Amino acid sequence: MKITVKLYAVLQVGRYREKELDFPVETKVGAVVNSLDLPSEHLDILLVNGRHVDREFLLQDGDVLSLLPMVEGG
Amino acid sequence: MRFLTDNPASEPTSVLYTRCTVDLESGCFLMEDVPCRNLEDVLGGFGRSFQMLAERDIQSAYVEENPLIINVGLLTGSHAMTGMRTYFSGYSPIKQSKKGLPAAMWSAGSGKFGAKLKWTGLDELVIENRSEQPVYIVIRETGDRPEVTLKPADHLLGMTTHGKIMALQEQYDDAHFAAIGPAGENWQNVYAGAVALSTVNQLKSKQDKVRFAGRGGMGSLMGYKNVLAMVAQSSDKLGRTPEPIKKANINVIKGGGSARLQPIKRGGGGGTWAAYDVLQAFHAVPVNNFRPQGNDLPERLFRTKVEQQYEIKSEACYRCGITCHNNIHERKADGSPGAFLAKFDYEPLNLLGTNLGLHEAAQVAALIHLCDNYGMDAITTGVTVSYVLSYNQRHPEKPLFNGASFGDYDKIHDLVKCTGLGQLPEIGHGVKRLSESTGETDYAYHVKGLEIAAYQPETNPGYCWAIAGGHMSMGTYGMLAREGKTDLDSWVAAITRDKLQIVGFDMIGLCKFFDIVNGIGTDMVVDCLAAEHGLKVTREELQAAVKRAFLRGLTLEIRQGYGKEEYCLPAEVTANPNHNITLPDLTTPEFLAELEKRVWEIFDREMQELI
Repeated sequence: MKITVKLYAVLQVGRYREKELDFPVETKVGAVVNSLDLPSEHLDILLVNGRHVDREFLLQDGDVLSLLPMVEGG
Repeated sequence: MRFLTDNPASEPTSVLYTRCTVDLESGCFLMEDVPCRNLEDVLGGFGRSFQMLAERDIQSAYVEENPLIINVGLLTGSHAMTGMRTYFSGYSPIKQSKKGLPAAMWSAGSGKFGAKLKWTGLDELVIENRSEQPVYIVIRETGDRPEVTLKPADHLLGMTTHGKIMALQEQYDDAHFAAIGPAGENWQNVYAGAVALSTVNQLKSKQDKVRFAGRGGMGSLMGYKNVLAMVAQSSDKLGRTPEPIKKANINVIKGGGSARLQPIKRGGGGGTWAAYDVLQAFHAVPVNNFRPQGNDLPERLFRTKVEQQYEIKSEACYRCGITCHNNIHERKADGSPGAFLAKFDYEPLNLLGTNLGLHEAAQVAALIHLCDNYGMDAITTGVTVSYVLSYNQRHPEKPLFNGASFGDYDKIHDLVKCTGLGQLPEIGHGVKRLSESTGETDYAYHVKGLEIAAYQPETNPGYCWAIAGGHMSMGTYGMLAREGKTDLDSWVAAITRDKLQIVGFDMIGLCKFFDIVNGIGTDMVVDCLAAEHGLKVTREELQAAVKRAFLRGLTLEIRQGYGKEEYCLPAEVTANPNHNITLPDLTTPEFLAELEKRVWEIFDREMQELI
């Protein structure tokens, strides 16, 4: 199935902003995240089609997975 | 401080702090060692100052009986990283209940002034009454007790914050400085005066890289008292860092807690600026007076865009490894950094940029620079000006002031400049008063009279219970965007228990970035207190002290006339919901009513128990 992965802020550095990737059916968010080799200290927010999910969430063909760092003010 | 016990939670009176009370009217000083009443007194900051403020019956901020309390925290000037905080407390000129009474307020800032103050041997300075003539206060380390003197300050009048600090640096070696600017001097017309605190970087480079205690108008209160500056002169006191503190410091830098704040080139997230990118993913970056439009306008101030044109220097506070400052410099032809323009943090960048319809980095930098030089809170100023622009958009036939509109840099610049010089009291008095004068209060973005920070209120109902400003005294501002929490139980628990712990950092002397998620009730802080002062304090005791201090703040608000109906978000949020924000809508009247009911059930009971 095809999943569009969007990376935000520091997660884009040395990578990409958006890419369509192929994964087996019934892939979980956690598996996609692991495959991307992102810096774990920065990855904080996981969204599928704009909604917050956890790593156990089952992806569907055509989903948009957005990966964001933590938001902090000052 | 003097410790006659190692157990300050059960024996607080065996801990004494050194306080100097300065009577500006008589010129008298009272230096005393004061026994602490409780652990909040021991920790310091607003935990102590609010207990003093609660003893006063203050009807207006600008009365002689309203003290300005300058103090530090237990770990200010310690080996613990970020231990640089100075706190300014008093009844606020700007934060006011509908009954017209001023709210108690504190504001915190870094820079090295706090550490120097602590190293003089003084823990707290209480400024009473007001001086007929402009003065500055010198606090010096002597062999035995700290020495406090008043000096004439006519020569400092009219100078910028940076100008005052540079002038005083000529006179005082081995010292750091706190100063107000023209905004604070014009306290009658500017209620949002800030206090600038000198940094090592500033004194070395002579560039105006200053830190600020900005919120609540403590600089205006200082101006009212006719105190233009303070000097803390002492030798540096830090020796070899004890091992447990070294471990905690390494954990602050490498443990993940501050990773997002580190420079990108060091593998960090690039400071608070990164909030732009994250919040834009939800179209939740404030645009044109807190009305995100669902477009990509905010992206023009993304770091990746700005660094195409400017040099961004990652710099730090004294001895701090977090390095969260993003200082914007012009880029010379050879690619090296040129003139310093401004420090880009999320709040001022947004509230003096995108939220005013300005998307050019140089323009925003100029406005930030102006506020810094005038010593004027960027949040209050930005939010009040964005209200003006919003009003003018609605009333093109009869606009306010110079008719400025969103994106009109020249006119916006004039508004900010005139406000800082005390020429536009309507703006200088903040958005609550301005909106009441126009009769259009729905789109005035304040809570309890204090302008909100750069987080959409739609995403943060916790604003209502923040006791000293929109986001730094209630840590719920990222809860919806970050955690996706939409259930009442989570929000009630966050507001009444977990996220209020953020204010502990405004007691102990550390910056919130020491551990913003967990607060001060942690093993890291316990270890630092043991290693630095030989104190045995538990995490639970620290958390309980923070909770009591917060509840005192809430109680004090109610005593100053706040009705529960004032604990609410700006009316536009529910009256005209913004569907461009893609986060779940928490601000339905039903959700807010139930949240209010459940939060007050808990806080009412706890405040009663505290009393």
